[in-house]
Amino acid sequence: MSLYQWLLFFHVTGAFFLIGGIVVAGTLNLAAILKDRPPSQVATLYGLIRFAVPLIGVGLLLTLAIGLWLVHNVGYSYGDTWIVLAIVLWVVASALGNVDGKYQRQTGELAARLAAEGDVSSPELRARLRNPRALVISYGSGLMAFAVLGLMIWKPGV
Amino acid sequence: MLALVRPDSWNLPLFLHVLGATLTFGTTTTVAVVGFAGLQGDRERAAWLRSLNFWVAFGLLVPSFILMRGTALWILDKEFPGGHNEPGWVSVGFAVSEPGALLVLLMVILAWFGRSPRSRVAVAIPWLASILLVGLAIAWYAMSAKPGS
Repeated sequence: MSLYQWLLFFHVTGAFFLIGGIVVAGTLNLAAILKDRPPSQVATLYGLIRFAVPLIGVGLLLTLAIGLWLVHNVGYSYGDTWIVLAIVLWVVASALGNVDGKYQRQTGELAARLAAEGDVSSPELRARLRNPRALVISYGSGLMAFAVLGLMIWKPGV
Repeated sequence: MLALVRPDSWNLPLFLHVLGATLTFGTTTTVAVVGFAGLQGDRERAAWLRSLNFWVAFGLLVPSFILMRGTALWILDKEFPGGHNEPGWVSVGFAVSEPGALLVLLMVILAWFGRSPRSRVAVAIPWLASILLVGLAIAWYAMSAKPGS
């Protein structure tokens, strides 16, 4: 196989890891907020999200590093519209994902504390779970990854 | 170098196919993670996790898999009309997705019967999901690197 074929495989692997991890985290998050659950269940769901974190981390690394290598290998310009847009979306999605990760970790810790103190939900936990701004950040960062996937297929400007 | 010469009319089915494949990977991973978690802990915890796993498998994995498989046929019809001169990597896709469909169906059925914490069939679900994940990795290797082409 050529270098291009190997690079494309690892770049696509990164995309699968990244979007796969986002789907795992998003599904478990949705399961926690769609139904009024006791804190122990919320803590369990947020605890399981930790399995998505390495997938997202490796996915982010592979998509960017191998993606930039592919641009050079294929002969695209780093200034092409779709490449600049993809990098901007990648950076914004990563930053928002980082903010969301910290918020969700704190929510999981609150749920675990409430679970240990009698497993009764509190207004603070309910408010954190359904905080509109946090949900926009969380699902917005995920949607940006899907938008990058679209850019990779359509390559506007090419 | 297909991306450099791909006609515009292939973009939508290709996007939906890749989207379906990545969603299938994510939902299958979720089924595996929730499935393994549902094998541990007390009965009450096992029961709600197993119930959740049925809904993830039925409500998210099945539509994702259908999206992946349906759009695969769409793009295949555009790229190799009439099924002529299909390269080997296309066969790999079929070799993974056809048994994969059976695995998905089996997981949904087992997840339905496995909702009870007393049920033993729930043990099989995360392992079946893990097998599907290996198959999906083989397929995306064949689809992206296109070895032999």
